[in-house]
Amino acid sequence: MSGMSEASAGGTDRALEPSDGLLVIDRLTKEFGGLTAVDRLSFCIRQQEILGFIGPNGAGKSTVFNCVTGVHAPTSGTVWLDGQEVTGKPPHEMVKLGLGRTFQNFRPLEDRPVVDNVKLALFPDEILSRDGWNRDLDAEAVAICERVGLGEQLFHRPSELPHAGLLRLELGRALATEPTILLIDEPFAGLANLEVEEISKLLVELRDDGLTLVIVDHNMRGLFSIIDRAVVINFGSFVAEGLPAEIKNDPKVQESYLGGERP
Amino acid sequence: MNDRLSTVRERIASDDGDGRLPNRRFVVGVLALLVLLALPVGTGPLFLLKMTGAFYFAIFAMSWDVVSGYTGNLSFGHSFIFAVGGYTAALLTLDAQLSPVVSVLVGVLAAIVAGLVIGFPALRLRGPYFAIVTFLLPSALTGLFVLYKGTFGGELGLPSPAYLLDMNGQVATITANYYLALFVFVAMFALLFAVTRSRIGEILTAIRENEDAVASSGINPVKYKLLAFELSAAVGGFGAALFVHTPIGGANPTQLLAVAVSINVLLATILGGIGTIVGPAIGGVVFYLLRDSLDSISWNIPVLGVSFSSLDLILFSIIILVVIYFIPDGIVGGVQQTARRLGGPDEESAMTDGGRSTLERILTRYRRDLEEDWGERNE
Repeated sequence: MSGMSEASAGGTDRALEPSDGLLVIDRLTKEFGGLTAVDRLSFCIRQQEILGFIGPNGAGKSTVFNCVTGVHAPTSGTVWLDGQEVTGKPPHEMVKLGLGRTFQNFRPLEDRPVVDNVKLALFPDEILSRDGWNRDLDAEAVAICERVGLGEQLFHRPSELPHAGLLRLELGRALATEPTILLIDEPFAGLANLEVEEISKLLVELRDDGLTLVIVDHNMRGLFSIIDRAVVINFGSFVAEGLPAEIKNDPKVQESYLGGERP
Repeated sequence: MNDRLSTVRERIASDDGDGRLPNRRFVVGVLALLVLLALPVGTGPLFLLKMTGAFYFAIFAMSWDVVSGYTGNLSFGHSFIFAVGGYTAALLTLDAQLSPVVSVLVGVLAAIVAGLVIGFPALRLRGPYFAIVTFLLPSALTGLFVLYKGTFGGELGLPSPAYLLDMNGQVATITANYYLALFVFVAMFALLFAVTRSRIGEILTAIRENEDAVASSGINPVKYKLLAFELSAAVGGFGAALFVHTPIGGANPTQLLAVAVSINVLLATILGGIGTIVGPAIGGVVFYLLRDSLDSISWNIPVLGVSFSSLDLILFSIIILVVIYFIPDGIVGGVQQTARRLGGPDEESAMTDGGRSTLERILTRYRRDLEEDWGERNE
């Protein structure tokens, strides 16, 4: 336990309640063969915060991300979303329950323009749904594209977009699923400083509009100014949690990053 | 904002960015239908028989396109579905003395089950591995049919069951069955066209592009893949069950089950334009008639000293290769391109054209799947 922040709830092998946050991860464990990638990790995400989920490369961030988004089923442990147990539900179910996500390696649909990429995420999952009939999906898709800064590129193919544009497209598709919480995987990798600023501004705006965000990154560069809290893990285990400034000066966090990057 | 939205609307209204094309397409479609309706007036029963066969073959090709062209799961064993539908219907009419109408309906149900059998591996296996599995299913069924020759007629197939429409006189019967085939062809085309142009079609092509993107859009890719397989099986099985009850078709391996059948529906679809439904509808008919006419050329080739018809497969393969090389989007894609060129330079459609054909997309995805696997293994 880091013991620095009064609100600290995370830890290793620490039992949490469904009501501890909007998204609660309780003693999550994931083993691959004999290897324990994530070890009894507990932490929670609160309503309308931006949480930085940080750890050095290979710390197990992606595994946690995959277990929460339903790509992998955890070996043990529980995930609660808005008080409801959602452990091991498939990815599309998680999205429907309000957990939006982006991919670090972007997954655009190359065969259709930007606006249609976003429109797909507005479609209902039900085969015979009439939902699409009384909604104006085109107007919604255009509005979302404008929101994420792709208003001028509605008819561009993804292959014509720059790196930052593809990130915006990922965000647009995720927003179209009307998430209550949005998990963003390494958004700032490969972005120039100005782009980091622009995207940061967008993320803060989304938070201010009521969205809860989790940003996964291997260090705090770019995150420092926008996150409300951070959770740090290493070797699949909890290291620390707290306000950005606390995290930066935490000796355990610094130790995690020894011999390499700074947090 | 309103400007952008109205641009979106305009583009949707004009299908793919060229306002004049869809109307022309519609006119061409109606004209073609009128010609087909009037065909019995101008041609003899022999050609009507061939056209009947061509329509059912085009239905097979369209059913293949729903799965392989739209979701990108290339099936090399769709004859499995045709055979299950066709043989079931024929056996029920022949042995159980059921009315052909009932037999056809049960045949469709059997084909739907066959669709599950062939579709299930696709839910677990990625493209290249799924393709291998689909190769095996028709072979297994052929083995079964040969083993139980008494029931299934072995390599020769079953005798002809009663026709669905049997009139007084041969010409009347052939004509009636021609119209039935035309009606079913148009109905199946309309069904598949409507489905693929709806939201469902957009989801199926999204599965072809990237399943992760579909799942992260809150849409269950497994459900929609199964839907594609079941729709394909129902249409293909329906076609086959009707086909065996016509003067031109029968429940035999050559027409329903052989590897050549599976490959031919694939080639016909590529010839017409994969992932378009219009493509296999046109390509299916053209392929059938073309192969038939090459087959019936009787003169010998001077230098080689062999008959022209014995080289039909080689010739045919060359034609298909040329098509794939020069117009990978098939007849439909070629016509669209030409029409666009004639319609003058259209900046927008030129700009948004991804520059890659659907076939290339599917194959690119296969390569990516294989590369990922090899990457994982070499790590």
